[in-house]
Amino acid sequence: MPHTADVVIIGGGVIGSSIAYALAVRRIPVLLLEKRGICSATSCSCEGFVFLQSKKPGVHLRMALESARRFKSLEDELETGIEYVNCGGMVAIESREEFEAMSVFAEQQLNIGLDVRLLDGQSARTIEPELSERIAGATYSPQDSQVNPMLLTYAFIDKARKLGAQVCTETAVTAIGVQNGAVESVITSRGVIQTRVVINAAGPFAPEIGRMAGLAIPITPRRGQLIVTEAAPPLLKSVILSAAYIAAKFNPDCARWAGEGISVEQTASGNLVIGSTREFVGYDTAVTAQGIKAVSRRIVSLIPRLAGLNIIRTFAGLRPYTPDGLPILGAVEGVEGFIMAAGHEGDGIALSPVTGDLIAQLVDKGRTDISLDDFGLERFNA
Amino acid sequence: MNDRNHRDLYICRCEEVTLGEIDDAIAAGASTVQEVRRRTRAGMGLCQGRTCGRIVAQIISRRTGRPMEEITPAACRPPVRTVTLGEMGGDEP
Repeated sequence: MPHTADVVIIGGGVIGSSIAYALAVRRIPVLLLEKRGICSATSCSCEGFVFLQSKKPGVHLRMALESARRFKSLEDELETGIEYVNCGGMVAIESREEFEAMSVFAEQQLNIGLDVRLLDGQSARTIEPELSERIAGATYSPQDSQVNPMLLTYAFIDKARKLGAQVCTETAVTAIGVQNGAVESVITSRGVIQTRVVINAAGPFAPEIGRMAGLAIPITPRRGQLIVTEAAPPLLKSVILSAAYIAAKFNPDCARWAGEGISVEQTASGNLVIGSTREFVGYDTAVTAQGIKAVSRRIVSLIPRLAGLNIIRTFAGLRPYTPDGLPILGAVEGVEGFIMAAGHEGDGIALSPVTGDLIAQLVDKGRTDISLDDFGLERFNA
Repeated sequence: MNDRNHRDLYICRCEEVTLGEIDDAIAAGASTVQEVRRRTRAGMGLCQGRTCGRIVAQIISRRTGRPMEEITPAACRPPVRTVTLGEMGGDEP
């Protein structure tokens, strides 16, 4: 392991790997530290949605649009397949209340430049014939896409390595040396690294890294239990969410009346990945009978034809939840050289290309193409 | 299995993953059964690695020179036998 590094990234998930790649492209020497293996926690326990319709209208959606643009050329750039498909995405609406809420949400998104349409139930079923008859309508965007999150993460890190990035797995960070308000070292289970720049890309574990530098980071692990079915012939054209998902994501109070929502995608291999619960249970990644039953019940109600498909695996992952649903990005006041890049909750895959770019711009030039003002850790101090 | 010319040999029959693909994953840095699985799909099929999991561990052991006991096996997750979404999501009797 090296004893010095220009930049140290903590966390080998999709965000850390994307930042490593973006820095390596700029020929900035970078060392990535990962306490387990690359893509071994959140980034391997999620769906592959590159979903724009679920983003808050505003800078969040603007960032996602930029990320979506980047995805189109990513396979060429990374020189490997990541199963990226611009398949379109649908938000299924189940009640009149949801219809009204989603029409307002979609209108705001349209104003920011997202191609999104409000459909009645029949039009929604023309696109997705397997949707239940009781679906009242949907919003649909041809810009939504899907990707294989694991292949994406490995593609970032493999290309970063080829460009000179160093990667140490099975290496836990135990302390961060801060002298006169500035980062000067990272202490790991395998030795000390002198560095002036540390990027905290530890996802749900980011608070632990923050504490090492005396920072309180309001990220909480939010468990999602998911189901994988046997491979099936093509059943779904687009990636699908229920409107309750969006409600549950941005307003936990809504989850009480709307339920937790459901999401489903058919992957390149034909398997369906169905999610998920949204639970605050600490760092417990167990699946529960109750959780899997709830997800099964909701998906069969949304798409009855799926009832006959066999479940071959269930699993749970931890999303890095923040109180306002937005990630925490950029330099941190009070600790020079400490940069945040965590808290994407369920948006990490979709926002990974743009996050990598913006953080690399920040390190390289001290400024970014898209302002990170709304994403600072300081917003929680008010 | 020691013969590196047998790259076409199927190791995971469910997902049709070959020895060559598994070797490539190990060369790219995969050091656990789980990591080989994520990179290649070996063990992601109907049997969920019940057949190939141990063979993959042996390949990792031989290629990396680490003893079998040190190779982390893949995590076992429910269900033990497949169950349909309809059965799982059905109302309690």
